[in-house]
Amino acid sequence: MITVLKNAKVVDPAHGKDGVVQDIYIRDGRIVARPAANEKIDEVFDLNGKIVMAGAIDMHSHIGGGKVNIARMLLPEYQEMRRMQEPEAHICGPNCSHHATPNTTDTGMRYIEMGYTAAFEPAVLAVNARQAHMEMGDTPMIDKGGYAMLGNDDYLLRLLSQNADQKTINDYVAWTLHATQTIGIKVVNPGGISAFKFNERRQDLDQLHSYYNITPRRILQALSRAVNEVGIAKPLHVHCNNLGVAGNFQTTLDTMGASDGLPMHLTHIQFHSYGTEGDKKFSSAAANIAEAVNKNKHITVDVGQILFGQTVTASGDNMMQHLNAKVANPKKSVIMDIECDAGCGVVPFKYRDQNYVNALQWAIGLEVFLSVDDPWRIFLTTDHPNGAPFTSYPHLIRLLMDKTFRNDAFDKLNLDAQAMSNLKALEREYSLYEIAIMTRAAPAKLIGLRDRGHLGEGAAADITVYTEQADKEAMFAKPDLVFKDGQLVVKEGKVVKVVWGATHTVKPAFDLGIERDIKQYFDRYHTMQMHNFKISNDQIAEDGRNHVINHTQG
Amino acid sequence: MTQLLNAMHTCPACGLLCDDISSDAIARQQLSCGKAAKFYARSVKHPSAQIHGRAVTVREAVKAAATMLTQATSPLVAGSSTDVHGARALVDLSHATHASMTHLNASSTLRNMQVLQHRGWQTTTLTEVRNRADVILMIGTDVVSHNARFFERVVWVDEAMFTNAAQRKIIYLGGDDLNTKPGVSPDGHAPEVIACASAHLPEVVAALRALVLDKPVTGTQVAGVAVSTLKALADTLKAAKYATLVWVSKDLHYAHAELTIEHITETVVALNQKSRAMGLSMGGSDGDTSVNYAHTWLNGVIIDQPDWESHDVVVWVNSYSPDAMPPAGAAPVIVLGASDSAFATPPAVFIPVATPGLECDGQMFRVDGSVTLPLTAAKPDDLPSLREVVNQILTTLEQGALA
Repeated sequence: MITVLKNAKVVDPAHGKDGVVQDIYIRDGRIVARPAANEKIDEVFDLNGKIVMAGAIDMHSHIGGGKVNIARMLLPEYQEMRRMQEPEAHICGPNCSHHATPNTTDTGMRYIEMGYTAAFEPAVLAVNARQAHMEMGDTPMIDKGGYAMLGNDDYLLRLLSQNADQKTINDYVAWTLHATQTIGIKVVNPGGISAFKFNERRQDLDQLHSYYNITPRRILQALSRAVNEVGIAKPLHVHCNNLGVAGNFQTTLDTMGASDGLPMHLTHIQFHSYGTEGDKKFSSAAANIAEAVNKNKHITVDVGQILFGQTVTASGDNMMQHLNAKVANPKKSVIMDIECDAGCGVVPFKYRDQNYVNALQWAIGLEVFLSVDDPWRIFLTTDHPNGAPFTSYPHLIRLLMDKTFRNDAFDKLNLDAQAMSNLKALEREYSLYEIAIMTRAAPAKLIGLRDRGHLGEGAAADITVYTEQADKEAMFAKPDLVFKDGQLVVKEGKVVKVVWGATHTVKPAFDLGIERDIKQYFDRYHTMQMHNFKISNDQIAEDGRNHVINHTQG
Repeated sequence: MTQLLNAMHTCPACGLLCDDISSDAIARQQLSCGKAAKFYARSVKHPSAQIHGRAVTVREAVKAAATMLTQATSPLVAGSSTDVHGARALVDLSHATHASMTHLNASSTLRNMQVLQHRGWQTTTLTEVRNRADVILMIGTDVVSHNARFFERVVWVDEAMFTNAAQRKIIYLGGDDLNTKPGVSPDGHAPEVIACASAHLPEVVAALRALVLDKPVTGTQVAGVAVSTLKALADTLKAAKYATLVWVSKDLHYAHAELTIEHITETVVALNQKSRAMGLSMGGSDGDTSVNYAHTWLNGVIIDQPDWESHDVVVWVNSYSPDAMPPAGAAPVIVLGASDSAFATPPAVFIPVATPGLECDGQMFRVDGSVTLPLTAAKPDDLPSLREVVNQILTTLEQGALA
């Protein structure tokens, strides 16, 4: 079966193509070279110069696992929210439901309707990975994957406090990737989640952990090196210490140096770019952060943009979420310590444009977007649902591409916040090419998905077709066509065929000898057997929908 | 190696999900836990499918079930005693038939959910308790009536990372007919027992919360418990390195018991302002956590409260409680159930399905919610899974719709 998309205006940064009009051929779910003249073409879509990009990839979105499901349970009122009108500066499109806690079906449907064909859950608690995969397995339409959380688990902290050699740490990291069926490693508030269990309330980068006598910097060194040495593509995914604290930009700058020049990804950096200037002792440090990102080529970031309205924050960082629970809206929250492995904090939030801090958070995120030069090293995220639901991406894209639209929104903000932001001085407007980099080519490269995020021969035929429009929110909210693995699944913004996608993993080689020590740890301290902690390919494929795609690394 | 691993089973008989049950122990019927013993003593039967007690083929029974569901105006999926895979199948069935979906343990599950949805909570999980808890306060429960091996697997363990397990302080506050013997430490140290009938827990726990918050409590007694005793308890909790406050929703079954649970969880919130403490909800059975969780991620909302009056057909699943049936006089019942189901009155339709963890594999949530374990078939059998039977019903419904 061969399908051709004729007269496609291709925006494919992986191949340097910016508006090249060409035909794209699809066979058996893959993009292929022009077939021989005698081969039968089964299906023709004449796109007449419509914009064609690879399917978008969300490299950081909380789509599955314990925290997300707790948020659903905690907030039945959110089920009604999609009918509510959003006031304030967030001018929603029809697809922006502001629905912060969608069920798994909605998650897949809303993503594919926006032309996203993959999303990665960035905070898979290793011990909770089985649940995360169950939920992702029940998420239709898109591909999935996860980053396993390490760095607050007592196993690793014990290794570090006993001065274990790097090889042991590498083996443990690789073992974890296998056991949890994930594609990357994340660290959340390194050492801090553990320290909270010992009644510490803050953990600074160079402060010794009160029990293990090691610093977060040491954790970051060990893990960034392990990720690098086991040879996986995805750099260590870092949620810095001091999330959301005024003045935390210094921690963020210092963290950039913690990997000794090895690649590291700092996530939802907006929440880590705060200064202490001004009467309210809360200011934007976006310029400092962007300058450092521009200078430090080993660093990549995603933004975690906030948008105004009701949402819920779900984080592994129970230490900082315990503090944030005081400003929960509505006034309820869940804080958990979990299995000597990690923790979680689920705190509902309502970001308001007339609130000084919220308004400045909005501006800080956009300042970072507009001040980081290289779109290959900055990614478009709202840290769904923490900054805003992922359904607001089209709105965010318009804010980046349309200066007038952005400045109009800025004019509606809290006046004190306006006075503290230089956003209007930033003239930059992102191009379609740059949007395609930050939502397609760059995340595929970062995660190591060689056959995704581009439209070259051999790529999976995950393809999105847009009608070019002046209103970029409208354009990105409702693509004309979306193909998933070569099948037409969305037509004029509506799902026409249900597919189930796959789960992407990495399985680097390691010394199986580590398993003897891990098993001993489970037998001594855990409440489950080690072999039940490990998830098999068959278990991921259970109920017949999902399957594992493993990315062997060169 | 593989054989050795495969010889270990996870027991779904209660929310503790002990995963150290050897095939050998099952074969010899040497299981220390009564619930596990009863579960693994169940023998695989091969009853035929039935319509009103009359033996029929599965195909005929599926057709009868589909016809009833087509004719019903308001079906209910209930019992729902199954694992995650079964829950997924039941959610699909509920979508296709516009049915509500509830669970055998809905009243105790929803009592906890009321607290969660009102204020949230701060909770912990079993491995944290095993390694950290120095003070364990059980409120209105002995836990062991529900989770027999709680003390063996979580409390009196050989080794804990951050505390001396043998010296933990065990306290029981209130409850009826408690078995406090498992609370005696291995070296014979007796637990503290603060007696008070369950019916008086609302006042007593409210007073404890007030004392933890340093609010004045006037009088010398609250429902027969000395205020000085409660004050000492509050001080013990505040001084603890990791106090764990345990409740079992099923044991708090009086009117508005959710307010007692909220007093427990808000006591934890108050303690966490200065020291460390966490709540722990124990109990669980019949895959209640699995079904509520899967229902939530598939629908966005928790399971429904059963309302037997307003439904005209009930689909009943009883995999872990083969004796359980809906209240007498409820609507006609389609049982997709245990092969050893026992009926006083034959249901309208009965189709035997494999029980996950006994006759087929599966996956189930532990009561603390963060841990999911694979279930392996202890007595493998080729009975159809709940998913397979539901799929047959769904296919028949679709064909009926097309016809």
